Amino acid sequence: MNGGRARFPASLATPVLLAFGIFVLVPCVMLLVKGLEPTAETGEWPDFTNVLGVFDSKVGQQALNRTIRISLIVTAICMLAGYPVALFIARCGPRWRGLLLAVVIFPFLISAVVRAFGWTVLLGDSGLANKGLIALGLIDRPIALVQNEIGIIVGETHLLMPYMILSLLAVLQRIDPNLRHAAESLGASPVSVFWRVVVPLTLPGLLTGTLLVFSLAMTAFATPFLLGGGRTPILTTLLYDYAFTLFDWRLAASIGIVLLILGILFVTIHRFVSSRGMRSYG
Amino acid sequence: MVDLFLRSGRGLVTVMAVFWLVFLVAPIVVTLASSFTSSTYLTFPPPGWSVRWYLSAFESEWVWSTFWNSVVIAIVSTTIAVALGIAAARVLARHRFYGRGAFEYAVLSPLVIPGVVVGFALLNVSVLIETQDAGLLNLIIGHTMVTTPFTLRSVWSSMAGSEISLEEAAQSLGATRWSAFWLVVFPLIVPGIVAGAIIAFTFSFNDVTISAFLSAREARTLPVELMSHIEYLPDPTPAAVSSLMIVITLAFFLLVERTVGLDVFADR
Repeated sequence: MNGGRARFPASLATPVLLAFGIFVLVPCVMLLVKGLEPTAETGEWPDFTNVLGVFDSKVGQQALNRTIRISLIVTAICMLAGYPVALFIARCGPRWRGLLLAVVIFPFLISAVVRAFGWTVLLGDSGLANKGLIALGLIDRPIALVQNEIGIIVGETHLLMPYMILSLLAVLQRIDPNLRHAAESLGASPVSVFWRVVVPLTLPGLLTGTLLVFSLAMTAFATPFLLGGGRTPILTTLLYDYAFTLFDWRLAASIGIVLLILGILFVTIHRFVSSRGMRSYG
Repeated sequence: MVDLFLRSGRGLVTVMAVFWLVFLVAPIVVTLASSFTSSTYLTFPPPGWSVRWYLSAFESEWVWSTFWNSVVIAIVSTTIAVALGIAAARVLARHRFYGRGAFEYAVLSPLVIPGVVVGFALLNVSVLIETQDAGLLNLIIGHTMVTTPFTLRSVWSSMAGSEISLEEAAQSLGATRWSAFWLVVFPLIVPGIVAGAIIAFTFSFNDVTISAFLSAREARTLPVELMSHIEYLPDPTPAAVSSLMIVITLAFFLLVERTVGLDVFADR
């Protein structure tokens, strides 16, 4: 920043601001206008009944509860699964690390439709998952693993686990190996080195990963759309239903407002937490 | 005793890690394998092998028309997103001004706003101004806005700061502002531009969320059309199309890996 200038760089910034103003800010404001439109003809403009109605109606409340429940479960699985994967990759030699990193990053570039498709084949009645469970003797006949919440949970876990692994790897690779050696030479057992040195140092990464996974789980669309089927709507797929099946755009906009608030909320928490995290972990 | 405990702890980590790594590749491997099935329904492992579903995919009109839509949208929106990203990165890396934080927040806002909201908000506006049938244009606009944060971050991180003093040196030696940019700054930020462009292109080509809202009848993208075929058509043609999309993505992935390295994904 040493060459920074104090004046507003109008020629560079104006086109960028115009593009984002017209195509992001204005549409979001119009969405607010739509969602707060009065329901009754006599009503006045900022009418919050629709936005509050999202939480009031049975369908809306179920979708909200389902969204939160699924997001919590997915976040928990990503934490428990992502941690050993990140630890494993961090302690591999450079050759293997490159390959394993590719295994983590590549799925995350593939279209959500394609991945959901792979899961419908794997989790279907004659899929590998059901065959495996029957072979293990855990079930007698195929159970429904897609077109329900299980399908959404599996798909979203697959969608979001790379974010958790990459967040954890970012902090794991920055840990000074001398810290571990110092703790060991002072008489700490390997187990207590892990719990009292490694784990606390990875907490900022775990926190970043958790917030990222949870907020993305709340707002995922294609995965729950394809793996959840019509009877298990979450907020995003309910918005799509209202917009394209029921053509109730006022309600769709209301759900959009709720999702928008959630999105902004999580980023604000993330910024707050990560700026504090940086201060305390230097 | 401690040693045994440690080794079993390490072994446990290895077993769990391998399980979840297999989990990550499983749907991709299964999609690729089941696309070569000889049967008319999807099952894994396939009863026999054939390429008939690839032939069926290549003969399908919907595959070709939506593929070209997706390619055009991805190329145009990536180009605009790169231009916007370079401009925004220059603003953020080189200038301090009142409202700089607000500028940064505005340009990165598509990362904060859920995709369904971006898609539906743009659709809502296009219906209000009656341009909802201009599907291709709406899709290009939507994809440009959501991919610009990627190009911005990639270009911005390649502007490490050294180019500012070099640029000033070039200018003090008599270079014009343009030639200082093109001859000094631009070559230094090319890796960032390439990485950002590839990420933007891959995102656009594979996107479903925004496209599902903005695809008008005559301008559907390949992933959106594929989604409706997966919903309604249980034959293995979608498996072949999905596999082709995996291969295209793999090509771009290897391009990133060979040119700028996988770290562009890791430091997010």
